[in-house]
Amino acid sequence: MVVEDEAEVLNSIVRDIELFESKFHIEMADTAEEAEKIIEDILSEGNFIGLILCDHVLPGKNGVDLLVELHNDEKTRGIKKVLITGQAGLEDTVKAVNKADLKHYIEKPWKKAELVDTCRRLLTDYVIEKGMNVMPYMDTLDAERLADHLRQNKDLTDR
Amino acid sequence: MNKTKLSGLILGLIGFCLPLVVTFPGLSGAGHFAMSIFLLAAVFWMFEVIPIYSTSLLVIFLQIGFLSSEGFIFDSAAITADGYSPVSYIQFLATLADPIIILFLGGFVLADASVKYDFDKYLTKILLRPFGSKPALLMLGLMLVTASLSGFMSNTATTAMMITVIIPIVARMQKGDPARIGIALSVPFAANIGGIATPIGTPPNAVVIAALNQQEMNIQFTDWIIYALPITVIMLFFTWFLLLKLFPPATTQVQINLETKLKKNVHAYLVYSVFAITVVLWVTESLHGIRSAIIALIPVVVLTLSSSFDKQDIRKLPWEVLWLIAGGIALGIGMKETGLAEWMVGSVGWDQLGAILLLLTFAVVALFMSNFLSNTVTAALLIPLAISMATSGVFEGMFGLMMVGLVIAISCSFAMVLPISTPPNAIAQSTGMIETKHMALAGLIVGIAGIVLVLIMTQVYWPLILN
Repeated sequence: MVVEDEAEVLNSIVRDIELFESKFHIEMADTAEEAEKIIEDILSEGNFIGLILCDHVLPGKNGVDLLVELHNDEKTRGIKKVLITGQAGLEDTVKAVNKADLKHYIEKPWKKAELVDTCRRLLTDYVIEKGMNVMPYMDTLDAERLADHLRQNKDLTDR
Repeated sequence: MNKTKLSGLILGLIGFCLPLVVTFPGLSGAGHFAMSIFLLAAVFWMFEVIPIYSTSLLVIFLQIGFLSSEGFIFDSAAITADGYSPVSYIQFLATLADPIIILFLGGFVLADASVKYDFDKYLTKILLRPFGSKPALLMLGLMLVTASLSGFMSNTATTAMMITVIIPIVARMQKGDPARIGIALSVPFAANIGGIATPIGTPPNAVVIAALNQQEMNIQFTDWIIYALPITVIMLFFTWFLLLKLFPPATTQVQINLETKLKKNVHAYLVYSVFAITVVLWVTESLHGIRSAIIALIPVVVLTLSSSFDKQDIRKLPWEVLWLIAGGIALGIGMKETGLAEWMVGSVGWDQLGAILLLLTFAVVALFMSNFLSNTVTAALLIPLAISMATSGVFEGMFGLMMVGLVIAISCSFAMVLPISTPPNAIAQSTGMIETKHMALAGLIVGIAGIVLVLIMTQVYWPLILN
C-alpha cells in the first residue's frame, strides 16, 4: 500500500515496485484518511496488508500519525512500515521509530534499487512472521531466506 | 470443500458401502469389511478428501472397529465360519510404534538436530569444495551431496537446504544460461533419487520394509543399502549427464562462496558425534547385528537427555509422517489377515503374465500413481497386492517377495515429472528458476530410465546378491 498525495510521485513509486504486483496487489491512497478506509475494507474482506509506504507530509493527518495509529491497533500492528519523505523533521522521525515501529526510512529522491530491496526484505519478513505458506512467494521475494525458513520450520515434509 | 474433494468424499463413501451390501464370492466376511476400509482409504488418499495422515489414522480406527477382536463386530472368542479369527486391536495400534516407525523417529531427530545446529549446511559446503567452480562438476557435486544427505534426512528438508545453497550460485550466473535450469532441477532430482538408497531415505521404503518384515523377513539396514545404493549411484550419474545434455552450461566458471563456520559448543559437538555414530552403526548393521530400530534410539535418547534437542524441538518433529506410514502398514495387515489381498490377486490370472512382466507392471503403475499421489500412499496401496502375489507363488518365495518390494519402493521414488509429484519438485518449481515443461521432460526421461534400470536389476544384480 502506498500513501502519497502528489500524483506524479505516487505513480513513480508504484512503477518502481510493480514487480511485486504479481503476488501483492498495490493499493494507492492520497491521504491518511483514505488510506485508513482502504485498510479497513481490505481487512474486512479477509485480506491482509504486508507493507505500507507512506509519505510524511499529507493534507490532513500526517504520515507519521497514520503509522502510529496503525501500530496501536492490534489488527494492523504487523504491517511493515516505511516512511518515504524529504521533509520529516528529527522529532517526527524519532516518533515514527519509537511509536510506530518504523522499519525503514527512505529519503526522497529515492533510488529504485534501494526501494525494491527494502520492499523485498520487509515483505519477506512479513510472510515469515505471519507463518504463511512461503512457497508462492519464493519467485518474487527473497527465495534464499524463504527456503531457509522451510528448512527450519518443516512446513513441508516428505509424503 | 472444492469439487474434487466433494466427489472424493461421495466416491469414498460409496466405496465403503459397496462391500457391505454386495457379496463377493470367495471373499470372507471379514474380507468384505477389509475391502470397505481399503476402498475408502484408497479414494480418500487419492482425492485428499482429508489430509493423507488423517486417512491413515482413520484406517487404523476403522480396522480396530471392524476387524479386531475388541471391535464392535467380533468378540475375542469369535472365529467366523470362513475361518477368520479376529486379531487383537493391539496389533493395529502397534503399527504406530512399529520398529520401522521408531527407525524413522530416530532419523527425524537426527535430521532436525542437524538443522538446528546447521550441521547440514556446514557439511554441504565442506563436501562441495573439491568440486571446484566448473558448472558441470559443481552440478555433480551438488547432486552427490544432496543425494547423500537425503539418504538420511527427508528429501524435502534436504532440498530446502540445498536451495538456499544454489540461489546465490544461480543468481551470479548469466541470465539465460541454460545451466541455471539444470542446476535448479539437479537438486530436487538428486534428493528424490537419494531417498532410495537407505531404509530411512523416504517413507515408501518404510511401508515396504514393514510389510516385508511381517512376512518374517528381516530386512537389515545394510541389506537395503546393498540392494538400492547401486541404483542411486547409476541414476545420479545418468541424471547428471541428462541435465547437462538438456541444459548445457554457457559459461566455464561460476562464482561460488563456500565459506562456512561450524557451530562450536558442547551441544553442537554432541549432535555431530551422535550423527556420525548413528549413521556408522546403521550402515554396519549386518556386521554387529544390532537392529537399526534399536540404534535409532541412540539419537533420541542421547540428544534429549542432554537437552541438545529440547521439548520445543520434539513438538516440531513431523509426527504426521509417522502416522501416514503407520496407516499404510495397518492397511496391509488388515488386507493380509482377512484374505482380501489374496482374493484381489487371485481374481486375475496373473501367472500367465510371467514374472518380469508383472514386475514391469508394478513398476509402471507405481511410477504413474506416485507422480500424482503421495509416494507413501502409492506404496501402501500396492504392497499388499504384491505380497499376496509373492506368497501365493507367482513370484519365487522370499526372493520374489524381496524383489517386488524393492521394485515398488524404488519406482515410487522415480516420480518427478510434475511439481506436485514430490515436495522437492514443488520447492524447486516455486523458486521460479524452472518451468514445468523443463521438469516434465527431464522428469519423464529419468522416470523411464529408472524403471528400465530397476528391471535390469531384477534380472542381473539382485539375483546375484539374493541367492
